[in-house]
Amino acid sequence: MTAPPAPSPLRPSAPTRSTVSATSTVMGDGTTASSRARRRWRRAVVPLVVVALLALAALLAAVLRPATSGTPLAPDNPEPNGGRALAQVLERQGVTVEHVRTSAEVARAAEPGTTLLVTSTFFLLPDQVDVLADTGADLVLAEPDWTALDSLTDGALDTGWADSTSTTVLAPECADPDARAAEGIDSDGSGLTSYGDATMCFPHPEADTFGERQYAYAVWDDDARRITAIDDATLLTNARLADEGHAALALRALGRNDHLVWYVPAFEDTGVEGGGVQPTGSLLPSWAGPVGAQLVVVVLVLAVWRGRRLGPVVTEPLPVTVRAAEATVGRGRLYRRSRSRGHAAAALRAGTARRAAARLGLPRSAGAPEVLEALARATGRDTAQVADLLYGPPPTDDAGLVDLTRRLDELESEVHRT
Amino acid sequence: MAITWRAVAVTALGVVVVLVLPVPIVVVGWAVLVVALVALDVALAASPRRVEITRSVPVSVRLTEASRSTLLLTNRSGRRLRALVRDAWQPSAGATGNRHRVDLPDGESRRVVTALLPTRRGDRLADKVTIRSVGPLGLAARQVSLEVPGRLRVLPEFASRRHLPSRLARLRELDGRTAVQVRGAGTEFDSLREYVIGDDVRSIDWRATARRSEVVVRTWRPERDRRVMIVLDTSRTSAARIGDLPRIDASMEAALLLSALAARAGDRVDLLAYDRRVRAQVAGTGGPRLLPALADALAPVDPALVEADWPSAVAAVQQRLSQRALVVLLTSLEPAAVETGLLPSIAPLAKDHTVVVASVADPEVAQLRSARGTTAEVFDAAAAERTELERAAVTIRLRQRGVEVVDALPDDLAPRLADTYLALKAAGRL
Repeated sequence: MTAPPAPSPLRPSAPTRSTVSATSTVMGDGTTASSRARRRWRRAVVPLVVVALLALAALLAAVLRPATSGTPLAPDNPEPNGGRALAQVLERQGVTVEHVRTSAEVARAAEPGTTLLVTSTFFLLPDQVDVLADTGADLVLAEPDWTALDSLTDGALDTGWADSTSTTVLAPECADPDARAAEGIDSDGSGLTSYGDATMCFPHPEADTFGERQYAYAVWDDDARRITAIDDATLLTNARLADEGHAALALRALGRNDHLVWYVPAFEDTGVEGGGVQPTGSLLPSWAGPVGAQLVVVVLVLAVWRGRRLGPVVTEPLPVTVRAAEATVGRGRLYRRSRSRGHAAAALRAGTARRAAARLGLPRSAGAPEVLEALARATGRDTAQVADLLYGPPPTDDAGLVDLTRRLDELESEVHRT
Repeated sequence: MAITWRAVAVTALGVVVVLVLPVPIVVVGWAVLVVALVALDVALAASPRRVEITRSVPVSVRLTEASRSTLLLTNRSGRRLRALVRDAWQPSAGATGNRHRVDLPDGESRRVVTALLPTRRGDRLADKVTIRSVGPLGLAARQVSLEVPGRLRVLPEFASRRHLPSRLARLRELDGRTAVQVRGAGTEFDSLREYVIGDDVRSIDWRATARRSEVVVRTWRPERDRRVMIVLDTSRTSAARIGDLPRIDASMEAALLLSALAARAGDRVDLLAYDRRVRAQVAGTGGPRLLPALADALAPVDPALVEADWPSAVAAVQQRLSQRALVVLLTSLEPAAVETGLLPSIAPLAKDHTVVVASVADPEVAQLRSARGTTAEVFDAAAAERTELERAAVTIRLRQRGVEVVDALPDDLAPRLADTYLALKAAGRL
């Protein structure tokens, strides 16, 4: 009972460390070549099937190309900017519509007695325009540009400068039966002017600066063929075909002959047979191909070399460790977002009062008047001033809050000095 | 299977051949040649599945101490083994330099050593051992990753042991002290000694004085063989990170220091790690085996993301205690968690035992509180102020129920808890 505490043999510094080693022996993983092959096959079969299905789907998609396109004014384009509505109505009326993209095809398809619709002359080179003239077919030009129009009509027609934003419906005001049948169109084009004996219809309301009338539709009869020009190609689109008299005008202009060649000039076509741009490969030396292929092989082998890991990636089972202050920071953000300056100020005031009271040795049960009294005495300030600081109205803006915080810090530091 | 840089070089050599003979068939032919060489090399390589691997690793090591994992490789393939061996461990095992080149004739053995420097407490597990056996041409290799089990138990660092000598000195001061300072209901009579000036005259033993020629006083010593029950809360609040470590690690440091001190003071220490069920416990171990047992029991304990079940924890504590004891709850003063869980169930415990609640405070909150730079920081400071007010309120409510509260920063918690223990012992409240 009275014996002093026995000195413990324990070295008090640390848990003693075990130096016993644990051992384990392993050879191979119990697999054979055939079992590994079976396992690999089982693992690979699903990805292989997926890849095969994807390849099949791609093949089917390539074979069953959709019969539609997105080219503006193309007869197979069902979008608002396409021309499929017009083409289908024409076909139902017995007109055969042939869709072509190059001037070579135009030369082959168009002949006297057919109608050739040119949806745009913007990409056409002078040679290609000549091809159009040489066909001898009746031409319908949708929104032609000046050079093409000038060369096709020998200067009888020209493009104008009409205000393209007008929304008034234009009346035909001419003798052309097609225009009269249409009764009215709403053209947003820049207008056409005549310098010859062309029939001009649908005059725009305003003349240009030279006093020339601007027309939306022109028919010029050569001895051999008829050239019709519309200054606004969008009249033919699916979106606007049903408006006003657009359908009547377009159907009558394009349905004049049994065969219609619908020419949507392709950007890459230059009119030269066999394509305009030479393939880049022909400029390279002959050994470039095989060497390039060999370099591709080298890169593949390099990828295989670098891509094979020495064993799997080891993961670390991490405990969930959230920063403990996270909740406090979140509450601070809530104060900020909701601009709760009142709550923030109350917390700061209460904290200051608690610490100051503790420093002054006041009991925790001390009421507000006692705390104020003690603080005023300790800091040498007026009681009313301290009361206003600790229990005054909440600040109304952020600057007020910062200022209050600063004054609270001052008060606390003065208590500290006492 | 794997290929080496030589296979890439041989393929690249094909570029020269193709330049000399620029026809596509040469490209294909060279590729076939490379594939054939690689296949031949793989076929001639020693089988990595016929290598015997024996791993030996220490059972346990203290955090921040270096250790090593040893692999004994024995070549039983019948061929010469040229291989690259990787001894993979979890990243936190700190296995640096774990790739080894070995060149083993048939039937021979070699030892490869991987240095380990664990960075986290708990069980660190070895991952697979990968052997890449290169063929005689050095073009390609056979590769296999094998499961060779290995486990290194990383014990808590017990960095707070540096506080132990000073606390032991204080403990010795308590021993043999006169009743002047230590007069309490629980103090035990120790011995008689001669009166020296300064002793309380009330502690003079008159009967003993009468028998001898000099004045004799009674001395007292702190009680011995008291029970200390440490309850480590492993619930969600212990997972929160303070500084670089989860809260539970600071709690463990405190538990280890208190146990070391109490064991030296002659008290019996039990430990219970609890959230909704018992995660670890140490009971009935004393003397030199206590600290190793504690460290081993605490090492694999990780926080569980569940709410602590305090009523059942209190029931478990009461079931294990028959006499009055010191119950230390290592938890956190999270206002919401304390209000709903700890406060209602702590009253019966505080009635029967001396209860200390020890909590790890967050230095970051104190930093936030004193930040004044921008308006946003003032709002953060207000939030931190509110947090501290709530903690203070919870502390007061706990104290009203007769519970001692120790709320300290992670580094201070262990010494502060030890001081509280010494103060309770000096006051005879154990």
